Order: sequence, then C-alpha cells, then structure tokens
Amino acid sequence: MTSRAEQTLGYVILGVFSLIALLPIVGILFTALQDPDGVAAFGSLNGLHFENFKTAWEDGNFGSYLKSSIIVSVSVVFFATLFSILAGYAFGLMRFRGSTVLFYLFLLGLMVPTEAIIVPLYYDLRDLNLTNTYWALILPQIATSVAFGTYWMRTYFRTVPRSLVEAARLDGASTWFTLWRVLLPLARPAVLTMTVLLFMWTWNEFLLALVMVSDESLRTAPLGLSFFQGRNTSELSLMAAASVIVALPVVILYIFLQRHFIRGMLAGAVKG
Amino acid sequence: MAGVRFEGVGKRFGSVEAVRELSLEIADGEFMVLVGPSGSGKTTALRMLAGLEAISSGSIFIGDRVVNQVAPRERDIAMVFQDYALYPQMTVFDNLAFGLRRRKVPGADIQRRVAEAARVLDLEALLQRRPGQLSGGQAQRVALGRALVREPQVFLMDEPLSNLDAKLRTQTRGEIRRLQQEVDTTTVYVTHDQVEAMTMGDRIAVMNEGRLEQVGTPEELYERPANRFVAGFIGSPAMSFFTGAEVGLNLPNVVGVRPEHVRPWREGLIGPLKGRIAFVEALGRETFVGVDVGEARLVVFEEGRAERDVGDEIEFGLVESGLRYFDADSGAAL
Repeated sequence: MTSRAEQTLGYVILGVFSLIALLPIVGILFTALQDPDGVAAFGSLNGLHFENFKTAWEDGNFGSYLKSSIIVSVSVVFFATLFSILAGYAFGLMRFRGSTVLFYLFLLGLMVPTEAIIVPLYYDLRDLNLTNTYWALILPQIATSVAFGTYWMRTYFRTVPRSLVEAARLDGASTWFTLWRVLLPLARPAVLTMTVLLFMWTWNEFLLALVMVSDESLRTAPLGLSFFQGRNTSELSLMAAASVIVALPVVILYIFLQRHFIRGMLAGAVKG
Repeated sequence: MAGVRFEGVGKRFGSVEAVRELSLEIADGEFMVLVGPSGSGKTTALRMLAGLEAISSGSIFIGDRVVNQVAPRERDIAMVFQDYALYPQMTVFDNLAFGLRRRKVPGADIQRRVAEAARVLDLEALLQRRPGQLSGGQAQRVALGRALVREPQVFLMDEPLSNLDAKLRTQTRGEIRRLQQEVDTTTVYVTHDQVEAMTMGDRIAVMNEGRLEQVGTPEELYERPANRFVAGFIGSPAMSFFTGAEVGLNLPNVVGVRPEHVRPWREGLIGPLKGRIAFVEALGRETFVGVDVGEARLVVFEEGRAERDVGDEIEFGLVESGLRYFDADSGAAL
C-alpha cells in the first residue's frame, strides 16, 4: 500500500523529471517559431512565424535529405525486421547444434559500436565500389539492426508457450505456416516496438552517413541538418526549425504506433 | 483406428534417464491412463508418442507402423494440452477448423465436422468467440473439440483437467470418458491424479522414476498391487505399511493395509492394537483416523462421523483378507 503522501511525492518527482525532459523540446519549438528578424533568444516565444519552416526547408534542401533518409530507413527497417523475425524464431523456438555459439555471435554485433568498425567498413565498401551509394548506408545498418532485432525477437518467442507451437505442429502446420499465421499475429506489439526502435536509430544515424557518402543528394537528414547548422550559426530560429523538420517523422511514427505497443495480445492463449 | 505399442522405449536427456525400457501395449479403442508422480516419465512417454520428443532407444508403433522417424503431423494423432494451447487470435470455429484446413479437408466437411463437435461439446453459442473470452471450462471443451474434429487414430491427453476447479474436473472426467466411448478412439491419458486414473482408465500404467511399475485394470492395481510403490500410490487415503515388529504382531515381511481393512476393535479382527490418534479426517459419510502405533502410522476407517480427538488412545484391529505382504528389500508383492 502506498499512502497519499507517498503518492503525491511520486507525482512531484515524476513531474519534475518530465519537466527537465520536456523543456529543451519546448524550447526548440518556441525558438523555431520566433521572428527570424528579431533578436534570437533560445526558448522565448515572440510570435508564431511558421514561415521559418518553409525557409529552412528550401534553404537547407531538406526535401532531398528527407528523401534519402526515408529510402535508407524504410529499406533497413523492412529487411532488418524480416531477418530478425526469422532469426529470432529459430533461436527462440528451435533446437539446433551450435545455436548458443551462433547467438553470441549475433550479440557481438550488438556490443560493438559503429565507431569501432567504421574505418575497416569504409575500406571494405570502397573495395566493393559501394561507397557513396545508398547501399553503403543500408547494408551495414541492416547488419547492426539484425543483431538487436534477433535478440529482441528471440526474447519474445521465448515467452510464447511451447504448447502453442506444438499444437500447431500436431495440427499439421508447417514451421513456416506456424510462424506467419500462428505466432506473428500474436507478436504484433513486439514487432511494432522493434520497428519503431529500428526506425529511430536508423533515422538518427550520423557517423555512418558522414563517412560513407559525400554526394549531396545521398545525404540523410541528420547529416543535412549538421551541414545546415554549420552554415547558419547565427540564425537560431532557422536552426531550430530545421531540427524540428528532421525530428518530426520519428515523432509521428511513434505517436501513430504507440497505442499498439502495450496491448497484450497473448491474453487467453493458454491458462496462466 | 489403431492400437499403440511401446517396445523397449527409452529417453535420455543428457545424463538423466527420463524413460527406461518402456514396453506397453495399448489396444485399439482402449482408454489407457499413464499415472505417476512428477518426474516419473509419463509425460515424456506421451510426448514421444506424439513425436514432440525424439526417442533415444526402442520403437513406438501406431497400428502396424513404426513411427520413430515419422513427423508429428504424419502420425494421425490429436493432443489435448494441459494449458489448452488454443490459438488466441482465432475464433473458436477457426481453432476447431485449423487442423482440418491444414489437412486440406473440403470446406463442407469442415463445416459439418466442426458443427458436430460443437454440438457434442455444447460449444455452439461460442463459435465466434476468441479464447480470451472463454471460461476455463469452455476453453477446455474447445481444446477437446479441436482433437475430436480431427477424427485421429489416437487421442493424447496431457493432464487436461489440472487447470479446472474440483467440481468441474469431476464433471469433465465423466464427459471425456463418455466421449471416448462414443467415438471409440484409442486414448492415452496422462495424469498425476490417481483418482482420475481409477475413474477413467480401462487400464492404468503406473510409472515411477522412468520405469513402468505395473499395468492393469483399476481393480487389479487396487486389489493386487505388484509392489509397494503401486500399493502406496493407488488409493486414497494411501495404504499404510508396517512390520509385525513395529506393531507387536507376529506378521512376516512388510505388511500393507488399506484404511477400509483397519477397523475399530471387534472380535474376528487381528489384534487388538492400541495407538494414539494423530489426526482425524471426518468427511461426514466416513471418518479416517490416523493412528500412531510405535514407529508405524495406520489409518483406521470408521463409518459415519466418529467423535474422536487427537491424542486419545484407540483400540483397533486388522481385517486379515485385506493384508498385503511385500518384500522388505525389493518392495515386490509376495
């Protein structure tokens, strides 16, 4: 039992930390709406100048950056999700020789940061003539995403009652059919959560994009934002507007999918 | 329809021998109960029959066919799981139809067979619901229905009643037995509950530590247990064991006696024996009185509600025809 006082204290603490987390975001929003010709001051609201977004969009060439980001992110998320589901299914529900060793190999991919592999990766991709193409952004990110995704999906498949899989087997369902028609409909919250995480990470990836592509038309949004900010250090409101533009797709996707996360689809599968 | 035969079947998990040299023949249409404490190997035996566990040694036959290497779905068996394992995202109808669709049964036949199973199991009003909207008993009937519509050669049931409350369990026990007799399909039923075993099985196979201890009709197991383990496992309250020396009687070996053969003292019984009352279970129609006599504890059976108090002395005797003798070392019946 928590007393009233404890509850109030809890709310106060949560409220303070929410404020700490939200203030910079509100600050950027307000700054993005400031009068571009006024005196720039971070976080103050002195009007609603939506034209800042238009200016930033046009000056910063964000149409092209966002297009690149979408191409890269959607490809990475699609293939990484597909591969993660398949690998997670195998690691989670099948018994095969070497599965533990293989799984640790996957985990290694999760532990090694991009910074550690970026240089050899650059030379590898250059040898394959893939630098300065979308492939240089897509392939490495599928690999790193699959490391996480496999871990994630394996954990999920481990929670599925084994009897459900066995019932499907006895009912005559193939391994493939069991995955797509019996298990995956139940896995929707897990898959959607993974999708959002992968999308967010891919969207925000900076170092890889910085190293692998030099062509302006291939630059992703975070990279474009960085260049844009380099050029417009004095124009605070434009920088803020550009930041909002780059961050918006992830926020929209999150809001769109978040109501699916928590829903426990497994209720009623088996008697608990 | 087909019988089932285990021939010297063994299963090892690493260094653990879960099932040892199991040989058991189950006749066509028979209701065979595998019973034993947890870890006795009964569920492993069932899962090997289902094809969900590989066999380490020996052979399993369904009909005349060795199924050691046959995939589960090719074995023509249906299984009811302890946790029901219904597909949560599908309606009851789709749950029932799933196995038939996978087997490419024509749509009209599926409709007919599902409708028939729904009628028999009283599921007609629930066909459009999902498992999450069912009570425990309803989910259990759907699980049974899913096995029934398949019209398989053999039904396998893995403790299907253990998640139901006591009243529903008793009711469903009779229901399953009735259904099985109607469709006359060979059934292998696993339980740890000896009451289920006694009331449902045509024959019972008692397992312990991976070994088959005895196979027989409920009556045989009760009246002529092959060893101390079976004698102690079958029957409730359990058979009591003692030696003559422990109770001051001139009886050989280890003696086993069931409560109904231990009565308050009267002429014609072996005794009298005296002991101190350790517990009293008054069930209304009968009373079981636990009595400590030296090192041994016996259970005395009395008709009706007996007024006894823990700690009091009681004088009782044994019915001679009810005594069973077991070898002190091996535990085998003599």
